[in-house]
Amino acid sequence: MSRAVFTSVLALLGASCLDSTGNRLVGFKAQASGDPALGLVAGQPYTFTSGRGYEVTLTTARLFVGAVYLSTLEPMTASGSVEAPCVTPGLITGEVRGGLLVDVLDPTPQVFPAPGVGSDVPTRSAQLWLTSGDVSAADDSQVILHVEGTAARGGTSWPFVGKLTLGKNRALPPRSAALPSANPICEQRIVTPIPFAAALDGRAVWLKVDPRAYFASVNFGTLLQVSSTPPSYAFRDDAATADQADNALFNGLRAASGPYRLELVP
Amino acid sequence: MIRRWFTVPLSCAVVLTASGARAGEYQAPELLKTTEVKRPAGGGEAAQDHVLVEFTVTASGQVQDVAVLESAGEAWDHAVRESMASWQFKPARHEGVPAPARMRLSLKLLSAQSDGGAHDEPSDAGVATQPEPPPSAVVHPPDHAHDRPHVVTATLDAGAALVEVVDAGHPGHELTTTVSARSVPKSRGASDVTIDVGQLKAVPRTTGGDFLKLAPGVLLTNEGGEGHPERIFLRGFDAREGQDLELSVDGVPVNDSGNLHGNGYADLNFIIPELVESLRVIEGPFDPRQGNYAVAGSAEYQLGLTQRGLTMKGAFGSFNTGRLTLLWGPESTSARTFGGVQLSRSDGFGQNRAAQSARAAAQYEGRLSDSLSFRVQSVGYASAFRSAGVVREDDFQAGRLGFFDTYDVRQGGEAARFSFSGELHYHQGGFTAHQELAVLARSSRIRENFTGFLTDVQLPRQQPHPQRGDLLDRDTTSWTFVGRGYGKLRGRVFGRSQELELGYFARYDTTVGQQQRLLAGADTFVPYAKDLDLEAKLTDVGLYADANLNLTDWLTLRGGVRADVLTYVVQNNCAVTDVRRPNNANPPGDSSCLSQRDFGLPREPTERASAFGAAVMPRGTLLVGPFQGLTFTASLGDGVRSMDPQFVNQGRETPFASIRAWEAGAMWGGKLADEKLDLSTRAVVFGTRVDKDLIFSEQEGRNTLGGATNRLGGLAQARLKGPAFDVSAHGTYVQSRFEDTGLLVPYVPDLVLRFDGALFGDLPWRPLGSPLKATGGLGITYVGKRALPFGQRSDVIFVMDASAEVSWRWASVGVTAQNLLNTQYRLSEFNFASDFRSTPPFPTLVPVRHFTAGAPLTVLATASVTLGGGK
Repeated sequence: MSRAVFTSVLALLGASCLDSTGNRLVGFKAQASGDPALGLVAGQPYTFTSGRGYEVTLTTARLFVGAVYLSTLEPMTASGSVEAPCVTPGLITGEVRGGLLVDVLDPTPQVFPAPGVGSDVPTRSAQLWLTSGDVSAADDSQVILHVEGTAARGGTSWPFVGKLTLGKNRALPPRSAALPSANPICEQRIVTPIPFAAALDGRAVWLKVDPRAYFASVNFGTLLQVSSTPPSYAFRDDAATADQADNALFNGLRAASGPYRLELVP
Repeated sequence: MIRRWFTVPLSCAVVLTASGARAGEYQAPELLKTTEVKRPAGGGEAAQDHVLVEFTVTASGQVQDVAVLESAGEAWDHAVRESMASWQFKPARHEGVPAPARMRLSLKLLSAQSDGGAHDEPSDAGVATQPEPPPSAVVHPPDHAHDRPHVVTATLDAGAALVEVVDAGHPGHELTTTVSARSVPKSRGASDVTIDVGQLKAVPRTTGGDFLKLAPGVLLTNEGGEGHPERIFLRGFDAREGQDLELSVDGVPVNDSGNLHGNGYADLNFIIPELVESLRVIEGPFDPRQGNYAVAGSAEYQLGLTQRGLTMKGAFGSFNTGRLTLLWGPESTSARTFGGVQLSRSDGFGQNRAAQSARAAAQYEGRLSDSLSFRVQSVGYASAFRSAGVVREDDFQAGRLGFFDTYDVRQGGEAARFSFSGELHYHQGGFTAHQELAVLARSSRIRENFTGFLTDVQLPRQQPHPQRGDLLDRDTTSWTFVGRGYGKLRGRVFGRSQELELGYFARYDTTVGQQQRLLAGADTFVPYAKDLDLEAKLTDVGLYADANLNLTDWLTLRGGVRADVLTYVVQNNCAVTDVRRPNNANPPGDSSCLSQRDFGLPREPTERASAFGAAVMPRGTLLVGPFQGLTFTASLGDGVRSMDPQFVNQGRETPFASIRAWEAGAMWGGKLADEKLDLSTRAVVFGTRVDKDLIFSEQEGRNTLGGATNRLGGLAQARLKGPAFDVSAHGTYVQSRFEDTGLLVPYVPDLVLRFDGALFGDLPWRPLGSPLKATGGLGITYVGKRALPFGQRSDVIFVMDASAEVSWRWASVGVTAQNLLNTQYRLSEFNFASDFRSTPPFPTLVPVRHFTAGAPLTVLATASVTLGGGK
């Protein structure tokens, strides 16, 4: 009896301090832009040197973000299981639904059309959904990444255009006949786990995109030449025919570490 | 000359004087007030000088169900009935508690002349109108009534007392008083509430579960529609559909062991509300008779039908709701002998709430000898209902869905229950024995979709698929065999009456249950996956000892210990639902229940698990008093909830959750205003600790295992009965918290207030010489803002129900209105993640507010006709 009485009295005392089930729901504004730390100027081309030594001048860089989800999964855990389902409802701490075409060369915050909602349960990672519709749909014609510019190295230049989609062209064959859904298309479309340790408190969530990371491993010499006069190159948008440059850009687009950074801002 | 006709009951004050009568156990009714019988208009002379009548004296002292056994002519019989309707008795008592009694008396019709010499002949209408006679003239016992006691023999047992009253005009066997009383359970403290429904039947109630609202701290919600069991909240517990509340009807268990919707799932919809006579609620595990599921407490219904004769009752009103009830209480039998059938249907308010049901119940109580009585009962019930389910608050606010709309019209369910039970009750001297057996067959199917398109996980072995829908289809069929009994010894030790009871409870359940997921589509009931397929054989054998020790005149100790042994044998027919590395030559594909394990090695899809456990639960109550009606109590007890068969692992110990509860309280009961008012009050503070509580999971649509919780609260209750009213009010405040964090337990209400009231009496009009009687009922529920997940609070609930009825002789008409103010309120509120594809294409994955709509104003017109029964 003494324990029951004791714990009950403790509960009563606690009642004066805690009158909640814990945590709370919050709304927030979500925005995205090119990373201001890069010195981007809206409307101006952006030049940088890639990891492979190319001097890349971007004149266009647009990223379509279908949705952003925030998760309680630690980044290490989130990437640990190849069989984790794409949608994990019990772990989501915030969501921003509604597509936004982000001008990555513009450092000015571009606000997502729909406000974000979530809770103050600690967030550990984020997901970018690079799709215009059902994340598991077989096909999607939406251009997710549109880049244009010129790369130069050793006196050679590669004017290029890249328009990447994530549809049937990105479907991967199953690992085995017994596991037909082992490589679902949704895994291609969801960029995760992007490290983001925060607790939503009403401040805005700012997605900052660093376009340099897209091109870090691109060997422009393997681009598909689509025209010789004037020379013009293009990234292939098909996993089946992709060469190094195509795969490197696609992998850069989907890299959880590098191109994307999230912050809470007033 | 004035001819006055009045009756003289031969036993104005029945006194138990015979040897063998145990003073204090039974007391026959005592007549307090009579009225004269007016000469019937045009009635002519009486056919004989007396009328032999049989009638019931209710536990509140009123006369009901007058049956004429020897007639003095129809008009005179009617006049006698009219007179007796206003007689007042001091009710019979059994073990100190008022109990109904069936009496048989010979009423001698006398003529007398007034002393004043004024003439009051019958009026033209034929009804005698005369000044009120002096009291001495009203009661005019014959000489022989003074000469000897009316009671010459008495034979008593705990089931009934047979008291023979001998009159010169009738042999003893014709004049009897039968006190229909059961051995009254001894109070287990201030949280032991025995509710005599009585006149509060006037408060509108549509289900048997609604009567629980008469107990302090009870809130009923329903997210599943009219045929869906009520979700019960009691003193800080979310007992879901009864999982934390031991429910029984006349000793027959209601909780379903092994039901997939929840272990202990209890559907009270099989009860015909008109047959609920009383209800005993013990809020806490303080009585050794309480068994499995008595975590928040227990509630036992007692069925009965006070109204004798054949009653047909109809109701029709809003939303094409119709209800037809047929009740039969054979004359010259106790209220515990009855039959009843009820058919109901409704289109329901809003979308997808149509429901229909049929209920039947019959019971016979009789005696095999002076010391042996029996009772048999059978109950049948079937229902089919549709359910609207939850609505997202953001969809409602944006106008995408109406307040009473639904996302999935396939939600609903079906239920059936059939039971047969019988009991033998033996009482001789200071020994009582009781044995009850019951067999039950039940089935329930419930289709619920809480989350829309969210939880259909794409497994690597499956063909690629989109979310196929979260409509869960649960079905459980079970057979239950129950035996329970006790032996009780009474004796005088240390100069005081003491009792010792030893009893047992044995229950065996065999259940089969499946949970499937149904493919989305308006009229599609195609299962695409099977989540569960269980067969369970469950046994619960409990033994208890209970003592009632009267230590002094003012100090009583009641309690003992109960021990339960529970066994589980569960066959999981779907033991393997996934395999990490399947066999390439024999891929499992989309099958739900697999025949291979890791690396594709073969195995059977089934698996058995058995478990065994025992619990010893001491319980006791100390009562100090009464001091002028005031009694102080303190109680302490342990209870258990058995393991859900879904979670049984081989060798895992059961029961798996235990509770310790304590309380301290005070009760006062007594008469006021020259015994015209009967007031009972109580106040209690209480606390409980549950080591493994159940917390509602929306994704599962059921309670799932949580951590340890504590509750601390208080309640107050009062009930006041008068000659023309009966009101009850109670309030409970409780805080339920997780032990480790101190955070509130979600969903349970902390403040519940309830008022039930009834007014009744004669109207000033007397068509054809019979009074019009009016009855009004009012029920008010207030529930404070409930804690919800993520620090949210629900809306307040404030709902008022009312009824009015006018009756005349054998007929009555009335109207009931539920949610009289037509308040648009959210009966249940939740915070969880769902995706009903209201705003495609991206899923909604964060918790948001959901609600189930409370019923709007619902008006029913009622009419009833009673044939026979002496009313």
